[in-house]
Amino acid sequence: MNKINFGIIGLGNQGKIHLRNCMRLKNAMVKSVADISKKNLEFARKFGVKDIYTNYEDMLKDEQINAVIISLPNFLHLEASVKAADAGKHVFIEKPMGRNVEECREILSAIRRNGVKLMVGYGLRFNPIVKRIREKIMDGFFGEVQIVESTYVSGGPFTPKSNKAGPVPVPSWWFDKKLAGGGSLLDLGSHMIDMLLWFLGEVKDIESYISYTFNLEIEDVATCMLKFRKGPLAVVNVGWFSKDFIRSIQICGTSKNLWFNLSRLNVGKKIWNDLKKKIGWYNSDSYYLELAHFVNCLQQDAEPSPSGEDGLRCHEVLSWAYRKAFKNIKN
Amino acid sequence: MKSYHGLIEKLSKTSKIDKGGLALSLVSFVRVANHDYISVKRGIKESLDLINFNFSRNVNKIVIKPNMCYYYHPSTGEVTDPWFVSVLIDVLRDNFGENSDIYVVESDASAMKCKYAFKMLGYDRMARDKNVKLINLTETKSKIVDITVNNVKFEFHVPELFYKADLVVNVPKIKYMSYVKITCALKNMFGCNAFPRKYIYHKALDEAIVGINKLIRTNLVMVDGLIVSGRHTKRLGLVMASEDPVTADTAAAKLMGLNPRSVRHITLAFEEGLGNMNYLPVGEISYFEENFPRWNLKDKLWKTISSVYLKVLPEG
Repeated sequence: MNKINFGIIGLGNQGKIHLRNCMRLKNAMVKSVADISKKNLEFARKFGVKDIYTNYEDMLKDEQINAVIISLPNFLHLEASVKAADAGKHVFIEKPMGRNVEECREILSAIRRNGVKLMVGYGLRFNPIVKRIREKIMDGFFGEVQIVESTYVSGGPFTPKSNKAGPVPVPSWWFDKKLAGGGSLLDLGSHMIDMLLWFLGEVKDIESYISYTFNLEIEDVATCMLKFRKGPLAVVNVGWFSKDFIRSIQICGTSKNLWFNLSRLNVGKKIWNDLKKKIGWYNSDSYYLELAHFVNCLQQDAEPSPSGEDGLRCHEVLSWAYRKAFKNIKN
Repeated sequence: MKSYHGLIEKLSKTSKIDKGGLALSLVSFVRVANHDYISVKRGIKESLDLINFNFSRNVNKIVIKPNMCYYYHPSTGEVTDPWFVSVLIDVLRDNFGENSDIYVVESDASAMKCKYAFKMLGYDRMARDKNVKLINLTETKSKIVDITVNNVKFEFHVPELFYKADLVVNVPKIKYMSYVKITCALKNMFGCNAFPRKYIYHKALDEAIVGINKLIRTNLVMVDGLIVSGRHTKRLGLVMASEDPVTADTAAAKLMGLNPRSVRHITLAFEEGLGNMNYLPVGEISYFEENFPRWNLKDKLWKTISSVYLKVLPEG
């Protein structure tokens, strides 16, 4: 396959990041975008995207498009990915793959039925530190890993954002449990659980607790304890309640114990990373790297990772964790 | 510890005094060591007594304006704690009568929407418990009023509720704010403009703050300083009261280690006759001056560097 022609469905914050990164890839281009917001479409036009649509179904009719990037609100993932797969397009879908296990299964079955590829946007797997940790685990650097503690706490969707036009309101679907599918456990926990499954394999047992700092229907605090089949124990702490931001992992093994901060760079490293981006060197940008991986997989007819199966597995663990947490609330 | 109790007792029972020909407004600083109902209620009452707040006036309709700038938890010190407001409501009812009509108000902003903030911050529950009306000013009737401050012309949406109020109680937080240095009583009233896209006023925010304060006058400032955000979040245990928003902000700026004359909206408000920058602090001012988590030079420098750096940051 020559250059991959992409169509982007949904140009919110994440969609815009994918648009920029896709434009930077030598073996891919964004042929079209679809969004209901004229402002967002204008943004794409300024980036040189010729075909713009207000209805993504019209975009899917374009035979020159090989693959789509779906960065829509959670409740639209199922419909958009099934329609894209039925139109014969490969699919890169932002996490979470769906709102629940059933939606993930439906997406996966559409992907298999149409013989196209699916990649789920768990960008943490492309974080250079996370990648290195996995290599070290596989390498035996930690000895036998016994305990892992991972934490991801932020303001989540309530983190203040602004653009040139001023402060940006939080999209209303985030406040609606039916539309979002879940709270911080689904949103941030899915990242951490996918990472742990990638590190440690299959889960044998789960205990989980959730709570509601902000009086919403969706949880904003969650702690899960996982027991893996191979033996290690892991804790996942996630939350949307904080003004601050932390994303970290601590690994305790028979040979080595280490704590890694996956997010906060010191000033020097931050400036260095930004300078690298300025000169077009994106080797530390996980969003860029995951898209580059997807494009390479399409060109080489390889299976992308995280795949749809990985996305489903992560949802099965999440659903188990939710069941346990709701049971604990009742008790 | 400096206390002005004796001095105040000798003075006439008003919240303004005359000292050697200089008119001074009173601002009280009361320390609440325990964050329990009885201590906080006592602290609020004491802070009002220290400024000689007149409870004998005829008050039926009370409007309370807390600070609900965004979806932050009250424990961060960024928003007025609904629990503090609920204790204040009890104090007001004890003194103005159980039947006074109390409205707790806020308006939608560019990023913050009241329908979510009321629920997330716990105001809807507080309003139910205290049987007060929780009002999103953006959804109420308002009058469009033009006003000019320092040659800058503004159009504000002034809610009609304020024209009918007997007492407007401003319950701000004390915070540093990059646009206008500090946010306290004067800035909190900015949220009384019912127009939701408040970002449009940011080009001349100091003038806009003064403009809205000219249109909607505060009768009482009751600062919720139990938790302050400052350089870092701290349980300061401060209850601060004044009948003059300019005085309250001047005292707040000083407490935060800033020269009040360097805060443009304070000096502008003073020049526009909204209040007095000369004040007499009563209560435990020295404790709070020593314990407020002030920005230091490093913080100020870091803030400047990061704001400059963000401007040159590559996109995406």
